Amino acid sequence: MTALLILFFTALAALFAGLSKNRKSVQTISLAGSLLALASVVTGPVRGWDDMYASMFVFNDYAMAFSVVAILSAALILGLSGWGFRTLTSTLGDNYGLLLFSLCGALCMFSYTNLVMLFLGIEILSIPLYVLAGSRRDDLRSNEAALKYFLMGSFATGILLFGIALVYGSTASFDLSAIGAAAAQSASSSNMLKVGILLLVVGLSFKVSAAPFHFWAPDVYTGSPNLVTAFMATVVKTAGFAAFFTLFATAFAPAASVWTLPVSIIAGLTMTLANTTALFQDNFKRMMAYSSIAHAGYLLLAILSVENTSADRALMFYLLSYSIATICAFAVYIVVSEQKEDETFSAFNGLGKSHPFLALVLAISVLSLAGVPPFPGFFGKYFLFTAVFEKYPALVVLAVINSAISIYYYFKVIIAAYFHKGSESDTAVVIPGGIRLTVAVALILTAVLSAAPYLAFTLFFRH
Amino acid sequence: MSLSFILIPFVAAALLLLARPAATRQLALLATLANLAVTVYCFGCDYSQGMNCTFQAPWLPEAGISFSLGMDGVTLLMLLLTNLVSPLIVYGSWSRTYENEPRYYGLILLMIGALNGVFLATDGLLFYIFYELALIPIYFICAIWGGQDRIRITLKFFIYTFVGSLFMLLSLLYVYLQTPGGHSFAWSELVNVQLPAGTALWVMLGFFIAFAVKMPVFPLHTWQPDTYVAAPTGGTMLLSGIMLKMGTYGVIRWMMPLAPEAAHTLTPIFITLAITGIVYASIIAVKQTDFKRLIAYSSIAHVGLIAAGIFAWNKAGLQGSLIQMLNHGINVVGLFYISDLIERRMGTRTLGDMGGIAKSAPVFATLFMIVMLGSVAVPLTNGFPGEFLLLNGVWNYNFWAGLIAGLTIIFGAVYMLRAYGLAMFGEPGEQTSGFADLNTQERIMLGAISLLVIILGFFPGFILNLTDSTVNRILGAVQL
Repeated sequence: MTALLILFFTALAALFAGLSKNRKSVQTISLAGSLLALASVVTGPVRGWDDMYASMFVFNDYAMAFSVVAILSAALILGLSGWGFRTLTSTLGDNYGLLLFSLCGALCMFSYTNLVMLFLGIEILSIPLYVLAGSRRDDLRSNEAALKYFLMGSFATGILLFGIALVYGSTASFDLSAIGAAAAQSASSSNMLKVGILLLVVGLSFKVSAAPFHFWAPDVYTGSPNLVTAFMATVVKTAGFAAFFTLFATAFAPAASVWTLPVSIIAGLTMTLANTTALFQDNFKRMMAYSSIAHAGYLLLAILSVENTSADRALMFYLLSYSIATICAFAVYIVVSEQKEDETFSAFNGLGKSHPFLALVLAISVLSLAGVPPFPGFFGKYFLFTAVFEKYPALVVLAVINSAISIYYYFKVIIAAYFHKGSESDTAVVIPGGIRLTVAVALILTAVLSAAPYLAFTLFFRH
Repeated sequence: MSLSFILIPFVAAALLLLARPAATRQLALLATLANLAVTVYCFGCDYSQGMNCTFQAPWLPEAGISFSLGMDGVTLLMLLLTNLVSPLIVYGSWSRTYENEPRYYGLILLMIGALNGVFLATDGLLFYIFYELALIPIYFICAIWGGQDRIRITLKFFIYTFVGSLFMLLSLLYVYLQTPGGHSFAWSELVNVQLPAGTALWVMLGFFIAFAVKMPVFPLHTWQPDTYVAAPTGGTMLLSGIMLKMGTYGVIRWMMPLAPEAAHTLTPIFITLAITGIVYASIIAVKQTDFKRLIAYSSIAHVGLIAAGIFAWNKAGLQGSLIQMLNHGINVVGLFYISDLIERRMGTRTLGDMGGIAKSAPVFATLFMIVMLGSVAVPLTNGFPGEFLLLNGVWNYNFWAGLIAGLTIIFGAVYMLRAYGLAMFGEPGEQTSGFADLNTQERIMLGAISLLVIILGFFPGFILNLTDSTVNRILGAVQL
């Protein structure tokens, strides 16, 4: 709760600091606030808040762990923002403020125990992003992204609300544990509950861009400003999946027969569709969008293993390694493509020679996303697949085959960086200090996660 | 002690890649020689009671994964192979100047560290991680310093191998989930799992796909000739000298002990594939005009015999495969070095362009002949004990299999002697009449290899004694 309040006030401060048009101060305030929030989460919840909101929020280990993932990702993105938002003047404070408000929504989605809170969290997460997606007002694709995101997102929220209403109608409660108890009694007989659960699956699948509800994602990711895309690919996924998991672990676990088949079909479809489509992409951001959808497919496997006690830790580790790798890849992309004005893979040509540090970071993050040992992405996939293997071996085989397919398009990046010749103007590309620092921090985190994956778990589950 | 095999190369690689010191070549050679020294030191340990020189550190204890290393006779032999051949590879690379040498030698050392880790690992997931880790340096070596069309070829190589080993991961995962209690990846636990016959079939197949791609075994060999030809000489030596032995080692250490229940059904198929590979690759080798490609196909043939010997799973087969792994490593490194030497002098690898080199380079011709005879497995060269034991093992398994596998000797003589004759004998052309004889560095390199060919041919018992007790233990533990 403290973290939520800190972030909220930081967002307000950033909004008002934006009036001064001093870029440095706004970024410093936002970064300081998010790091303070991170510290407050890591040091543990403050007793006393919980009782006030016990029926709506709970700040247990689960919430703390995922909050760390989300706030860490946001802090890294804020570290990149000094350069990423360099063209903004009058809307500077707005952008920072909206990003932080969205993060607050994410925190709500980690700690909810009440369906109303879930809905509020989703809305607080999404609405600032609708605005941010369209924040490049003179770019046609940004406008398109905002419109598509808003329309599809609102539609999805509508379906979600309908599902919540039906669930309430059949179980007479919004509280997750009460719904779980009611579902245990009446799961097989209540058609209203079944339809409600399925509508919630659909609504949440929209939010995490799972097939066949993913068609908005490539256009929105490609059209949005780069940092906003990074935020959407990391924090929104983290929030969406954490919420998904809580819902199905607590409320709908007794009704497993209703939703496991649809979710497994969605998972298989998402992985395969996204990986095969990503093979044909030329635009790096679009490829990352499809890669994000593919990872959503793998993450849905965690939803299928809710009764496994270590599934939530596997989910958290996967999201952590995936977020850090995506942010590193986007950091390099932002620096290189905005200076070379090239959005395709050829922006990375010759990076191995002109900027070996950036090329190394890019190679490591892409190998981590592909799941190659010893990078953290491999461990994330390993934990996830182990959790699901006993009940759904066929899906794990499909996931493994898809990981192999993904190597092809991830390697296009490495090939461009190391084996294609760049042009003479490459050395003119400058790496700003803020980006260098952020990327270095991310690299250290990657190394730590690689060498001692369990450090991530013990740090979070101390209570 | 075991940890030093991995630490020395990794530390040296980090130094080379990050600090880029001036004495790059010397540092690399020093690191590999240090590893060799440690290997020789380990000859003295006693391996009759099981794993020795073990190292254990908890890594992910709740997931049952630990960083555990251990050595027995088989591991010692593989370490001897790796650490004997790697100084040769590094020293052989001194003949060429590479662009950005610290990176080149750093990547070679990284790979050697990972290879040592594969052979030392006694934890299933650690084995898998090192297995995959070895792929990354070789990919970069081949793609940065390789020859024509290298980007497409190395990507194909990476994906092919990676997909294969993913199936191995699934098999490992399945067996891991069958271990009792809080599961464990430790080798001793995995081996104790009794699998029902049906699932044992799938587990063994998963392993087989990974190792069949790595060795390679027909029909999963299509990546190999292109990759060997496109890679730089150091890369090819690493691939053929050491890396493919990861596959054969995996069969002995992991595939057969973990899923012996399926062996009766599947080993006849595997042996048939291996022997088909021998004949198939040998016939193609006879027709080759590119010397490097010829050696690549001959490698498939030789490894087919090694694989058949392992699958036969008897004393002669296993002992033969182990000694042949060592000797094939030495011989093939020598052959690829010779091919590189000719290419450096003449700019071509086509056999038709060569001829009469023996007239202007007699020392080279002599040493080439020694290495070539070792590859053909002439008695008193190092190739002979291995081939003989392997054929004995396969013959004991099945008369016809042994007969067909025996064709390898005949074919080996055909393509090797043909290549030697085309290159060395006959009338010298304009290109070959000025062929300079060996300089000092080349003399040392080829001299060392020839010496090894002869010594290991005269005294193979030394190697056989190293692995004898371990092979007995392995055969006793895994009854088919």
